[in-house]
Amino acid sequence: MKKSLFIKAVLLLSCLFAPGTLLANGTAVVSTEHATVTLLSEQVNAAPDQTLWLALRFELIPHWHIYWRNPGASGSAPVIRWTLPQGWEIGEIHWPVPKRIQVGPLTNYGYEEDVTLLVPVELPPGALLAGPQTIIADAEWLVCRVECIPEDGRLTLELNNTDSDPIMATETRELFSAARARWPEAKTLMGHYRLAGDTLAISVAMSDTLSSAPADVWFAASEWGPVDASGVQQWQRTGTAVTLTVPLGDVPPAADIPLQGLLVVESEHEGTPVRSGYQVQLAAQPLATGNLSLMTALLFAFLGGLILNIMPCVLPVLSIKILGFVREAGANQQRLTFHGLAYASGVLASFTVLATVLLMLRAGGASLGWGFQLQSPLLVTLLTYLMLLVGLNLSGVFSVGGRLMAAGQSLTASSGLVNTFATGVLAAIVASPCTAPFMGAALGFAITRPGWQALAVFLTLGAGFALPVLLLSLFPAWLKFIPRPGHWMKTFQQVLAFPMFATAAWLLWVLSQQTDARSYAGVLAGLVAVAFAAWLYGQWKPGNWRLGLLGAGLAAALALAIGPMLAPDAPAHSRAALRDDRPWSEELVQELNAAGRPVFVNFTAAWCITCKVNEQLALSTDNTRQLFETRSVAYLVADWTRRDPAISQQLERYGRSGVPLYLLYSPTTGQPLVLPQLLTEGIVAEAIHAL
Amino acid sequence: MLKQFFQTTFIMLALYSCGSGAALRIGEPAPYFEGVDSSGKVQRLADYRGKIVVLEWTNHDCPFVRKHYGAGNMQDQQRQAATQGVVWLSVISSAPGKQGHVSPAEADELTRNRNAQPHAVILDSGGKIGRSYNAKTTPHMYIIDAAGKLVYMGGIDSITSSNPDDISRATQYVHVALQEMAAGKPVSTAVTKPYGCSVKY
Repeated sequence: MKKSLFIKAVLLLSCLFAPGTLLANGTAVVSTEHATVTLLSEQVNAAPDQTLWLALRFELIPHWHIYWRNPGASGSAPVIRWTLPQGWEIGEIHWPVPKRIQVGPLTNYGYEEDVTLLVPVELPPGALLAGPQTIIADAEWLVCRVECIPEDGRLTLELNNTDSDPIMATETRELFSAARARWPEAKTLMGHYRLAGDTLAISVAMSDTLSSAPADVWFAASEWGPVDASGVQQWQRTGTAVTLTVPLGDVPPAADIPLQGLLVVESEHEGTPVRSGYQVQLAAQPLATGNLSLMTALLFAFLGGLILNIMPCVLPVLSIKILGFVREAGANQQRLTFHGLAYASGVLASFTVLATVLLMLRAGGASLGWGFQLQSPLLVTLLTYLMLLVGLNLSGVFSVGGRLMAAGQSLTASSGLVNTFATGVLAAIVASPCTAPFMGAALGFAITRPGWQALAVFLTLGAGFALPVLLLSLFPAWLKFIPRPGHWMKTFQQVLAFPMFATAAWLLWVLSQQTDARSYAGVLAGLVAVAFAAWLYGQWKPGNWRLGLLGAGLAAALALAIGPMLAPDAPAHSRAALRDDRPWSEELVQELNAAGRPVFVNFTAAWCITCKVNEQLALSTDNTRQLFETRSVAYLVADWTRRDPAISQQLERYGRSGVPLYLLYSPTTGQPLVLPQLLTEGIVAEAIHAL
Repeated sequence: MLKQFFQTTFIMLALYSCGSGAALRIGEPAPYFEGVDSSGKVQRLADYRGKIVVLEWTNHDCPFVRKHYGAGNMQDQQRQAATQGVVWLSVISSAPGKQGHVSPAEADELTRNRNAQPHAVILDSGGKIGRSYNAKTTPHMYIIDAAGKLVYMGGIDSITSSNPDDISRATQYVHVALQEMAAGKPVSTAVTKPYGCSVKY
């Protein structure tokens, strides 16, 4: 059979080199075993300064297909090389909306039955040369069912021929309008995309374009690379937009390069499937982190540090302190300078420690799977709450750390160089009722940045904070310029709340682009809850109750925003029905395998979020459970929550440094199939059916 | 809808947590595999730790494969790789009954007839290795470095046609990558578009 196919292909190739039949009435035809290809012109006569439309029409034998401009996982788009009269300029092929053609696990984009590719030609303004105008198209196309045959042909067409058939011309024009009807819609839709792990999150604005409920919506990139054509796409309508999750291809789009492609909407109209396409232009989602440059951040941090000095809870303390060491040093300028330097180094040391603690927390969090990117709606939500709290604190709705301040005051009351250093170390902390807001802002920025930038921000904040005292120690005469503490400080602090509210507003704007209206409403409700909790905390007098209350309020707010996603779909006990209670071991796998049962091993851990997601979305679903039952697949769990050398070794064997790992052992070969780290029901089902 | 949003969020977080997902990425460990070759020997990726490994997905009836074998391009590259100590493994993932599926004896005969020089021909009729590498076309090429990391994936060369005349004009990506690796340089073009027939899983 294979051999006969080969012979067929060879025979075919030889007959392909026969020139196409030349017809006088504006068409030329080449026939191969799989395709009848016709070259047509919309106009029988070409005129100067005209846009002339040419068409290459493919009529294919049943079940065979040719390809769209981006053929998808395999295949190759038709190529046409034109030879035209001088001065004629050929445009680009206008591709009709393709369909998805499944070849095993691979997806291609192409056309079955027939397809007409239209190409515009611009004619020069000057008069055409006398006589017939010859157009030659050398076409190469790959035609496939499962196997593929490359074919080619030369088609020659003559225009401005005297004896053309007007009836044929009408038929031709009908073919052209039918071809245009299969083009994507004229209007290009705008949207944006962002990288989310191994997928692209795409959102396209489609206010009125999507009338009835579509059966399916999918995206095809114009070129190979950014999207894996074979992967499973998910889509949903969110108000005026369509959002899709599309698997990333071999070449992820570089940051801020727009992505072009086709959005195909499949629906049913009176029982017949209708496929319409929309050209889409996707801008890279503005990365919110890019909006504030490092230099700007450092400038703000420095100013913030300066401003810290005149906060109501800092200025009085510092005035006393400075007066203290001025007194101690007396006329000894050198000693005074030492005091200044000791204080400054103390401040910087303290800020370095804070930054280090932050970075360590972040590293810990990242290893637990927290995404510290503004692309993460959860983090943006938390930062919005933080900014609101900071603003409310500045407004005077509540205050924190009153006791610390009292302790600080007693400490700073003593003297000596070491003490001055200690004052510096503790300055930021002892004055926490006022420094906290600035710390919060700096933290909010720094948490989204690389480590060294976070450190730079904190150190600059510290430098700004230390500078005035250092200057005063160098030039004690300037003490007279220090403003007196007074009520103005309170007003100033309250004014500072507004930049914080503005930041919260900006974060909400970022969030609005990442979520739909309902989740957004959840976050807004959370903001109200946070504000209420802060107010309660500020009102409640008996000391320790207040923290508890604030905690409860915050927890309520967080629960509103993130609670639903922690609630599993299915009750936990239903999982037990699926799982083999015996713990995983290589011997058990072999034993079950020997008994003729396929074995599915889930290498998981309680702290692995990916594992939990996979379990929820792909493994503990009704479909999968049923499939496992009907195929009598043994489901073993290898729990790596605590390190287990046997499991580690197995992971290593499959080139993994950690969980998840999914292995499906076939009873016939005893060899495992390694499933991807991100499972869907489909992937699991396909793997089991392939056993 | 709300649930879906949270699921999406959750998946995003999950993706941040465990690094790479399903897709193959350059610079990451290549998927482990083991498969039986035409001589009945088990070929494991782990056996070649310390050596450069080239994987070539193939199907002798695919016109794009014939383009490169017919012109001797694939054999030349296999021979050159062998002299450099590179382990060249041809992989056939065609399922039984599908185009390109061969018995061990047929595979050996193809190697002889075409004067091919692969280190081994792995018969992956279950498509296990193909799927774990996301092999889409024949030919589809992968290079794995001595440390077991993926350093190249994509086409055999730069002109996506079935015409053998294009071979001399095309950039032979695998050849270039192997030369660069031999010179201790990083692979300059690490990902290209694979072209050819679909793998007949």
